[in-house]
Amino acid sequence: MIDAPSVGLLSLFLASILTSNVLLANFLGTCSFISISKDFKSSMGLGVAVTLVIGITAAVCWAVLYFIIQPLGIEYLSFIIFIIVIAGVVQMLEMIIDRFSPALYLALGIFLPLITVNCAVLGVILFMQIRKYNFPQAVIFGFGSGAGWWLAIMLLASIRKKLDSNNAIPAGLKGTGITLITIGFMAMAFVGSSGMIAVQ
Amino acid sequence: MKQSPADKQAFERMAPGIITAAGFLGFDERSPDRIIAEDERAFEELGLDFNTVADRLEELAHKGEAGLGEPITVGELLVQSGDARGMLPCPWEDGFFHKNAVSVSPADTPLEACVEGEDMLIYSELSIHMLRAHHFCQGRGSPFRLEPTLLKQLLF
Amino acid sequence: MSPILVGPLTVAGISTVLALIIAVLDKALNNYGDVEISINGGEKKLEVKGGSPLLSTLAAENIFVPSACGGRGTCGACKCKVISDVGPHLPTELPFMSPDEIAHNVRLSCQVKVRKNIEIELPRELFSIKKYKTHVEKIRPVTHDIKEVLFALDSGEIDFVSGQYVQLVVPPYGDIRESTQRAYSMSSKPSDKKHVELLIRLVPGGIATTWVHKFLKEGDAVELVGPFGEFRVHDTPAAMICVAGGSGMAPFKSIFYNLYETSAFPEKDIWYFFGARTSKDMFYLEELRELQAKWPRFHLVAALSEPSPEENWAGDTGLITDVLDRYLQTVIPKNDKGWEGYLCGSPGMINACINVMKKNGITEDKIYYDKFA
Repeated sequence: MIDAPSVGLLSLFLASILTSNVLLANFLGTCSFISISKDFKSSMGLGVAVTLVIGITAAVCWAVLYFIIQPLGIEYLSFIIFIIVIAGVVQMLEMIIDRFSPALYLALGIFLPLITVNCAVLGVILFMQIRKYNFPQAVIFGFGSGAGWWLAIMLLASIRKKLDSNNAIPAGLKGTGITLITIGFMAMAFVGSSGMIAVQ
Repeated sequence: MKQSPADKQAFERMAPGIITAAGFLGFDERSPDRIIAEDERAFEELGLDFNTVADRLEELAHKGEAGLGEPITVGELLVQSGDARGMLPCPWEDGFFHKNAVSVSPADTPLEACVEGEDMLIYSELSIHMLRAHHFCQGRGSPFRLEPTLLKQLLF
Repeated sequence: MSPILVGPLTVAGISTVLALIIAVLDKALNNYGDVEISINGGEKKLEVKGGSPLLSTLAAENIFVPSACGGRGTCGACKCKVISDVGPHLPTELPFMSPDEIAHNVRLSCQVKVRKNIEIELPRELFSIKKYKTHVEKIRPVTHDIKEVLFALDSGEIDFVSGQYVQLVVPPYGDIRESTQRAYSMSSKPSDKKHVELLIRLVPGGIATTWVHKFLKEGDAVELVGPFGEFRVHDTPAAMICVAGGSGMAPFKSIFYNLYETSAFPEKDIWYFFGARTSKDMFYLEELRELQAKWPRFHLVAALSEPSPEENWAGDTGLITDVLDRYLQTVIPKNDKGWEGYLCGSPGMINACINVMKKNGITEDKIYYDKFA
């Protein structure tokens, strides 16, 4: 029913993590990226949360897009509907985290509900819509992008840990300043792999 | 005016019954950042500095401790340093402070006749922290409000 | 169907489905089912509904862990040892824990949620604590900011040792929407098992004291939980050097009248130092002087720190710690029975008195006190 691009699932998975990393290639989802990467453990927790959210919402939104929105012809409402679904999934995830790990829930604080407005989530869903992925591709792309985001935040958290103990950074650049520069470097490094697998 | 998430959370924790019985806002309808901005202007007009005022409040609380829970005369002021069980968290979540209540009033007015916030100052360790770190004097109507004109009148 | 309806209906439909799923999930997640709380290695076992904090779960089973803030996490009084693993200490618990306590799994029972079977340890005395329904029999102001409140038990009797305290349950009132609890020492005699008397001083901005001073009336129904506390007279021949100020008088009133009534510990001499600022802040002076007149081993030393000349105060003047120091050095007889210190008041007063007592030869292990913080 859709003319999905002919890209293998494994290539798609690797591409969404490495070459089209949602954060480092597309610069989506940076606000909680910068704030939470201060602490390694919370970064781990948030990374898992974001992966789950993107993966699950990609799957659900694919179904909603092709079984509800398109048949009814209400594409103009697709943004609103996607956001409602994201908010719902995030709320459920919040409750699950609170139940099984209250310490993580408290550590993530405001950033857990902020995943709702994390542009990476909506961005992945819209990419999926534009590139006309079929269901398996959408799911793999969703979880893959989430994993890419997770990888990026783990890398940044580790780098920041090292940077924290470095006194050579000028006072004006400490904290957010040097972090943004570091993200730039990471992006350039990831761009270097872009020739390998092309999905966009 | 848009509030940062930290300020918004602090605002919610200032409601009655969350940290203290009466809350920190009294019957004031303004948001904390407006209260802070207007008090900062009042301080400037009166020639007061937040750190100096906080230091003086600390000094009086310390001198009041000699009264061992009863009022004691310090210069022209009557200071009573009371104590209560427990600790109070700052609404901005940057510290925990011992629960206490220090009252400062003019020595020539009997305590029963003093009205909190009008001729008598009441504050705690938390009030001093909020003054120093956040320039927050609490809302009008809060018994722990540090009204700038009263501060100038009693402390200096 | 008209396109104007399709759009909004679909959005509403999707939102409803999501809301339903969330509601079901909420029920499922927060329904922890029935769990078992095992206390003191199985000595007591409770079958309870999980999901609530340990403090309130135990209270619902009539086991009352002391709490001065009613479970809000601001007083640190509800400590209890949790043997099972309930996760790491929460950030809300850490300010109240010493490293030793953290190592021994001492937790704040108001912050630990009961989600599965757990094992805990509680001191045995807690099992004799009950909740009493009472009504206010009499309220009498004794100074401008201290009220004497007499509660009559609706049924049953209260058994306590002089020096113990109860927790007053403060219901929601005014702008305050939640109930809370505050601790007050009992000033009534243990021999009167159907009454509890408390001395309550108005603290500015205080939840409980404002309620008592501005809202409580005779006839009102009030709940009390207790008795709690380790503060009491020790069975030794040593003389008791007692110091109190303001509402700190409460446990001593109970102790002195009880000792007089029962003639217990006949070898102990009692010296009571009571300090206030002016005679307006002094209370029970007549009653205590009467007691001194008919009870040879009781000595009252009332001191005012700032008496005005018009008062013609003939007693001792000065800060109570200075008066105490003077008496310990020159007036109170030193003999081989030794001295013990009993203190009740704010931490500032207690620390100052401890210093004076140590300076005069009373060792810290012989100084007993009920710190209000």
